[in-house]
Amino acid sequence: MIILKHYKVDDVSYVSHKDILRVLQRGLKRAGVDVKYSQGYVPHMLTYTTTPVPLGVQSVAEYFAFECVSNVDKDDILLRYNKSMPTGMRAVASFYKDRNPNLAGIVVASDYIAESVEVLPKEIESIIGCQNYVISTSKKGQIVKKDVAPLIYTLRVEGARLYMRLASGNANLRADSFVNHLNERFGLNIKINDICRVAQLVEVDGKFIDVEEVLK
Amino acid sequence: MWDKLKDILLQVQKPARYVGGEYNLPDMDKPCKERVLLCFSDKYEVGMSNIGTRILYHMLNDMLDVVCERCYAPDLDMADLLRKNNLPLFSIETKRDIKSFDLIGFSVQFELQFTNIAYMLDLMGAPYFASERGEEFPPIVAGGPCVVNPMPFAPFFDAVLIGEGEKNLKELTLLHMQCKKEGLSKQEFLQRASKLDGVYVPSLNNPTKRAVVKDLDEAYYPTKILVPNCDIVHDRSSIELFRGCANGCRFCQAGFYYRPIRERSVDTLVTQARELMDNTGYDELGLLSLSTSDYSGLKELVDKIKVEADKRKIKVALPSLRLDSFEAEIYEEIQGASLTFAPEAGTQRLRDVINKNVNDKDILSSLTAAMKYGVKNVKLYFIMGLPTEQEEDLQGIVDIVCLIKKLHAEYGTSKLLNITVSTSIFIPKPLTPFQWERQISMQEMLDKQAFMREKLRMKNVKYSWHGAESSIIEAIFARGDKSLAKVIVKAYELGCVFDSWSENFHYDKWIEAFELCGVDYQKFLDGFAEDEELPWDIIDNGVTKAYLLKERHKAYEGICTPNCLKKCNGCGANRLERCRI
Repeated sequence: MIILKHYKVDDVSYVSHKDILRVLQRGLKRAGVDVKYSQGYVPHMLTYTTTPVPLGVQSVAEYFAFECVSNVDKDDILLRYNKSMPTGMRAVASFYKDRNPNLAGIVVASDYIAESVEVLPKEIESIIGCQNYVISTSKKGQIVKKDVAPLIYTLRVEGARLYMRLASGNANLRADSFVNHLNERFGLNIKINDICRVAQLVEVDGKFIDVEEVLK
Repeated sequence: MWDKLKDILLQVQKPARYVGGEYNLPDMDKPCKERVLLCFSDKYEVGMSNIGTRILYHMLNDMLDVVCERCYAPDLDMADLLRKNNLPLFSIETKRDIKSFDLIGFSVQFELQFTNIAYMLDLMGAPYFASERGEEFPPIVAGGPCVVNPMPFAPFFDAVLIGEGEKNLKELTLLHMQCKKEGLSKQEFLQRASKLDGVYVPSLNNPTKRAVVKDLDEAYYPTKILVPNCDIVHDRSSIELFRGCANGCRFCQAGFYYRPIRERSVDTLVTQARELMDNTGYDELGLLSLSTSDYSGLKELVDKIKVEADKRKIKVALPSLRLDSFEAEIYEEIQGASLTFAPEAGTQRLRDVINKNVNDKDILSSLTAAMKYGVKNVKLYFIMGLPTEQEEDLQGIVDIVCLIKKLHAEYGTSKLLNITVSTSIFIPKPLTPFQWERQISMQEMLDKQAFMREKLRMKNVKYSWHGAESSIIEAIFARGDKSLAKVIVKAYELGCVFDSWSENFHYDKWIEAFELCGVDYQKFLDGFAEDEELPWDIIDNGVTKAYLLKERHKAYEGICTPNCLKKCNGCGANRLERCRI
């Protein structure tokens, strides 16, 4: 199993996850990578990703896994992949694992950086101490109230930058929903496109570890 | 512009349509003396599927000193936000407004897109009519299949390119570059442009001969094409087997318009197919032409391409096959569970009238073969309201459906067979032998559709039909004149846009627009006398009026004209260029 860590920035951050899957698969095809297909009536390329970032959010820590028919050199695949992807999508590391690491199942959190044009209030950090913290989010066109306190692990303000560690995976807090809430509550103007996922994390012995470390 | 757009992109559906960044994007930063904007008068998903604009976009970008960008009709939500934020319509690649370009080209595909031209001009901040646009606006020209009769929309444009863009758009771009260098005005440029082949300048009303490329093997065809990041209508790469059609179906505008017939060689096509497969990553490759089964080297081509496609797990897709040239062998190669046939008319008599050279025996043998190959779905396309059509002809459609069911029971190897019957309304189009015909009335359309609905209430048979109201509007504009341009603007101002999307089509607003403009549309539906001057007579599209008239008379006598592959029928198209078949 080959796993590529890649980024998804600029124009392609406005491409939906469903479309991104197709972009990734076409990229592999152009790169001439002999990826395994399903054996069903309509064979499809067997590829795996982690929880997607919301539309408009950029990322420098996306993971994309696939199995090849024959033995391949992971570094060669990285080079070929980068030549065959649209601007805004480039792999920065490749890994080889004997078995599917099931990244979608083991990732529990993501780190994000949100950039604002103005200095952000330190008060944002106080959200971390709250027992309950209810925000309104939109789900399938409906506004729903959600207690997100257990889904926020870190909030740190440094000037115009906000560092966030939010739950990702089965228990999930969308970075765009949370930033929209902050914009509304604190009168900020952080653009969704100025949020970037910088790491995805797994939990080992009660500690968060960058998924990249697990793959090495 | 980009910063402002960032704010609104997440408020619209499918923002990927507006950001560009597709794979194989040409170099937008190369040194350039001429910046061209190609506009498509429909949404991104439709425009990106269009092979004509795809060819021209890459051709222009491959020209020295030329950069070409794209612009599509934005969806209504995006248009609202652009207006609210006081932003003009912009190019996809570099987000420039139209005044930043030297030359603007619009591709007009069919009549129900006409209001989209007004919509896009409005969003660009440009006056609708060419006569109202000063030197601050670059020349805006139109091309595409609708230029067979450009009159209804001609007043919007400084020039209309008649024919194949590989020739006239290239020449026009070079000419404009030269005129710019010489510091000539727009009017001086248009004067010179009117001397080129296939350039009609509405303000000069110059007689214009359609421009065609001589040899398709030599013609530009891109193999490093844009691969969209989001889903589009025809999401595949395609090779174009040939242009023109040898069949001469008398209702078919494309069949006459794209003549003379010019084939690409198998070797060229195989090379193009291989490059497209490697450069795009698409799962499917389409073989395009007006009648693919008439391509002289089809078997050899399919055999060669299949080898390459199988290696890459790519599917080769053939468009609908003619019943008379259905080759079981090919079908077996391109195995699929569904089959599409277009007999067009239900009886042999009417098929002879329209010169659909398919007989009952062909239908029987082809369908029998299809059943034996285990076809599960059969799609049938027919046209209703054809000249001389009687109730027996409609009953003939029902009889064909019954025949297929019977054949399936007798020879079918699939358990279940689904039959889909689609009927469109016949619309007399310019440059066809039926260009003089009367358009059937709305009531006639509704009655015929009701007849079919009633008769096709059968198990596993689905019937779909084309809207009567939109057919009327399409018919008016197909044979309309310059008086209709103001109606297009009025209809747009009343809220008509994206008329080809049924949910956006408002017949009542169209009728109101005609009334407000004082234009009697009935005259464009009643048909023309044979000696009457037609609005598009000034355009020489190749096939002569005398030939079309002869064909019309033969239609009424029920006499067929043989396929051009059998003998040259002297249509006149080879005055433009020699047929290469």
